[in-house]
Amino acid sequence: MDHGEKGGGLRGWLERRYQLATLIEFLSHKQVPLGSHWMGWYYLGGITMFFFVVQVITGVLLLMYYQPGEATAYESIRFLTTKVPFGWLIRSIHSWSAHLMIVSLTLHMFSTMMLKAYRPPRELTWVSGYILFLLTLGFGFSGYLLPWNKLAYFATTVGTNIVASVPLLGDWLLQVLRGGPDVTVNTLYRFFAAHVVILPLAFVGLIGSHLLFIQRQGMALPLGAKVAPRGMKFFPSFALRDLLLWLACLMVLVSLAVFLPYGPGIPGMDWELGDKADPMAPAYPGIKPEWYFLWEYQLLKEFPPHLFGLEGPQVCLFLIAILFGIWAIIPWLDRRAARGQASPAFSDLGWAAILFLTYLTLAGWDIGAGGAGSDLASMPKVARVSAWWTLMAGMVVIVFRFWRYEHRYFVLTLAALLQVGLHGFFGVSYLMAGVFSIAAAAFAAATLRLLRSGTAGGGGP
Amino acid sequence: MLTAKDENGKPIITPEQQTYFDGLNDNLKEMLNRAVEKETISRPEHLSILLGLQLRPQKMELVLQNNCILCHSDSANHSADTLFSVAPVAGAKPSHMNLKEIVEDVHFRHGVSCAGCHGGDPAADLGHAHVKEWPEKDREKNRAWVVQFCARCHSDPATMHDFNPALPTDQLAKFKDSPHGHRLLDQHDDRAPSCVSCHGVHGIRPAKDPQSKVYAQRVPETCGACHANPETMAGSKRADGSPLPTTQLAEFRTSVHGKALLQRGDLGAPACNDCHGNHGAVPPGVASVSRSCSLCHSANASLFDGSKHKIAFDQHGWAECSKCHGNHAIQKTHDQMLAAGPGALCTDCHRQFSKDNPNCEATAEYFHQTITRMDAAKNDLMAVSEKLAAKGLDTDPINNQLTELADTLKKTRTYVHSFSRNTFQQVALPGEEAARQANALVNKAREDYKYRQIWLAASIAAIGLLMGALYLKLRQLEK
Amino acid sequence: MEDSKTSRRGFLDLLLSASALAWLVSVAYPIIRYLKPLPQSGATGPTRLTREESARLEQNKFVIVPVSGQRVIILQAEDQLHALSAKCTHEGCTVTYVPGQSGLWCPCHDGRFDLNGHVLSGPPPQPLLKYVAQRQPDGGIVISEART
Repeated sequence: MDHGEKGGGLRGWLERRYQLATLIEFLSHKQVPLGSHWMGWYYLGGITMFFFVVQVITGVLLLMYYQPGEATAYESIRFLTTKVPFGWLIRSIHSWSAHLMIVSLTLHMFSTMMLKAYRPPRELTWVSGYILFLLTLGFGFSGYLLPWNKLAYFATTVGTNIVASVPLLGDWLLQVLRGGPDVTVNTLYRFFAAHVVILPLAFVGLIGSHLLFIQRQGMALPLGAKVAPRGMKFFPSFALRDLLLWLACLMVLVSLAVFLPYGPGIPGMDWELGDKADPMAPAYPGIKPEWYFLWEYQLLKEFPPHLFGLEGPQVCLFLIAILFGIWAIIPWLDRRAARGQASPAFSDLGWAAILFLTYLTLAGWDIGAGGAGSDLASMPKVARVSAWWTLMAGMVVIVFRFWRYEHRYFVLTLAALLQVGLHGFFGVSYLMAGVFSIAAAAFAAATLRLLRSGTAGGGGP
Repeated sequence: MLTAKDENGKPIITPEQQTYFDGLNDNLKEMLNRAVEKETISRPEHLSILLGLQLRPQKMELVLQNNCILCHSDSANHSADTLFSVAPVAGAKPSHMNLKEIVEDVHFRHGVSCAGCHGGDPAADLGHAHVKEWPEKDREKNRAWVVQFCARCHSDPATMHDFNPALPTDQLAKFKDSPHGHRLLDQHDDRAPSCVSCHGVHGIRPAKDPQSKVYAQRVPETCGACHANPETMAGSKRADGSPLPTTQLAEFRTSVHGKALLQRGDLGAPACNDCHGNHGAVPPGVASVSRSCSLCHSANASLFDGSKHKIAFDQHGWAECSKCHGNHAIQKTHDQMLAAGPGALCTDCHRQFSKDNPNCEATAEYFHQTITRMDAAKNDLMAVSEKLAAKGLDTDPINNQLTELADTLKKTRTYVHSFSRNTFQQVALPGEEAARQANALVNKAREDYKYRQIWLAASIAAIGLLMGALYLKLRQLEK
Repeated sequence: MEDSKTSRRGFLDLLLSASALAWLVSVAYPIIRYLKPLPQSGATGPTRLTREESARLEQNKFVIVPVSGQRVIILQAEDQLHALSAKCTHEGCTVTYVPGQSGLWCPCHDGRFDLNGHVLSGPPPQPLLKYVAQRQPDGGIVISEART
């Protein structure tokens, strides 16, 4: 096969105009580092992007038939899913892909965090990815309202109400977000604009930077290695594997869309169209936000109505802002990883975060309430059952890390489990248990540091 | 007086009453002041009660112009049976002297007030001149004078025109013809009702007011106050000499009509007066039962009138609707009433009266089978439709047919009253057609679903093929 | 000469930054004003229930109607009419009336109120606002905001 001749045609034409050779040369050197860690983690970013592309395509298709408006939003989606050929399929794929995108995004975020890929010089890759995460949640929240059904109406009412707790700007933010003091068709118009134009533009811009950074800097090496032990060429080896995996995801997506068109039927993951929104009807019993917001919903419930002279939701929002803020600046906080040293505390932080979210999500789902939804009486039971499951998962995680990854630092994970255990089994309030656990963790960490610096020279794992 | 305190040191006029007083306009404050000056209101406790009523300005004005009420609401001046109090005092006649009721009374609100019945001059101080028609003696026994008393105004169109031209003025005439009227006026029976027995005395409200004793939902208990009481009804007999039962109220409460009216609050459902009349209360005899049912159930009535049963019922002198459905204890109809076999409604009667005609039972059987078949089809199709909807299929066309089917079911159950196969069949046909169509649509939807699964399999195969080809290409490139 | 050149350059830079800032403000201000929605317009003052709303009240023992742009729940308990704000003071969900329990319930987070709007249990921080419901002589119902 004579590449030159074949390339002479189109390739040569492009080459003479755009000097692609340098670009192709650059790309051919891109390597995926292989080492002691599982290569599978590297695929997650691509999968997330794949789901996003599916969203864009199905979203554009939905746009052909969807009409925002009091009398048309619900009706147009009803029409789309019943009368338009394959309309049901497009909508179903769009809904499934949204949830799967958030799943893969979460896995991608935690895996890059554990692998410390955020360390210098890749801080901005982490930050841009973090903003992409927030934008994705925004997509989920804004898209949810668009069918204008009962569930969406109340979920949006509750969700937007929270911004009123922001000090100073709260009321302005609420009105701008909702297009008025209450959720009305004006809210629908604004969310539609956000979902279809504002968020996509921001997202595409950020993903462009995210990918640009990765291309420019190459993939992150495993911690401690100056040069990759082995590498796999990105083009064509890794890229084709990526493509293979995307096709597999497409297969799964399409099968789910056909067999479970309205979701797996779990509350918070159920998008049957249902009834049209009616502002004059009472709220939906058993209403829950989407599963990826359940942890926030549950956390809000754990706060008393007033705390330290402020309203409970305000303090909770403040706490969440702090947690999110810490997560955003991890590249700068983790100085050991910046120096190329092992950073067990931050791995532990990641796992602790996962357990923290697990407990809240389980409790938010009313696990243990017997399917009846929770009321005042069943809340302790829900707390206990969720705590049990979280503790079990935590034990498995600790054993697994100890055995497989030879982790030895478990202070933060144990603190998270302690909080959950105190709250679920001993009835201590969630917040008090949290304060106690943080204090215990600080004490343990300080003691460990003292012990280590007490033994010759500090050096530790 | 506003700042007066009682023996415990607590202010007698509460903050709410103070706020109310402050909110009054100048005219009313002026009237209150005058009343205090004249000592018509002499004590802070009395003032407290009046302010505590929280009346609208118009009503407050009526009260303050009315010395009768001002005096009669002062507990210092009156004994229990002449005192208008907010809560009935022990020993007083119940509800007659309730201060809250009198200010809601329709006569009071229209300005007729005390003097309109009792005579006298409300503006005068301590006027107690009563009209000559107000009997001083034997007022409690022999209540026959009451109806004439009320009728002074209520039977005079000219008078009523000033107050409410829409009110009828024939109540007395109807009453005179009714069993209640006969009992009271001809037989001089004190237990018999007069106007005040049903309408009340001092707290009369228009019938549309939910707190009125003759509001539709309260009519059964008002009638039942006498008619469900065996002592009151002792000695009352029907036209044929049998004693009047006292079970009607209890039966009514278990009936469809009773449940609709009293439990669900459906004001379209009949109370006692809708079938029996109110002032001219006559128990419906054979001829009049069907007329009162047909006021609402007109379709059934007109079908019945054209049917063979009408002739038979007239011949036997039977009450038309109630013979099969009952009168006070009417229950929800069910399809089993049409079934064949002993114990069934149609069969029991027909085995006695037209046992030579096999058509009767056969027709009943036909009705029963058609209706139950359609009912079963409807239930099945609804369940299937739900399952299909959960699978993501379009069930709107199916549900449209089901609506048609449900409508036909309602119609056929009404058209039973024609007791004619042909008439019934014509009405049942669209329903059977709808069931057929719905089944066809269900099959089409199932086909649709199968098609989706096939399409899925095909696309999975295509994706799989592509994946296989890619994998091979990968292997090749990496060699 | 050099000094005056640098100071002039410095001055020009300052002028540039200041004018850029001013321009940004002039662009941002209309956008911010544009984003804030207009206050609600529509019927204000005492509202009369429509025939349909009255019928629903008879049937279900409660109905939710808009009064001056706010959701208000009217309920009938033992011959007495109550009118309260239907917007739960916790997160703004619409409450419902539970006749058996003689109170109002918010399904979103299980908040409970009594018939006067006071919080019985659950997360709501404030009682529900009271309205005045009056039955007119012709049977109609008029809702108005409570004085004070």
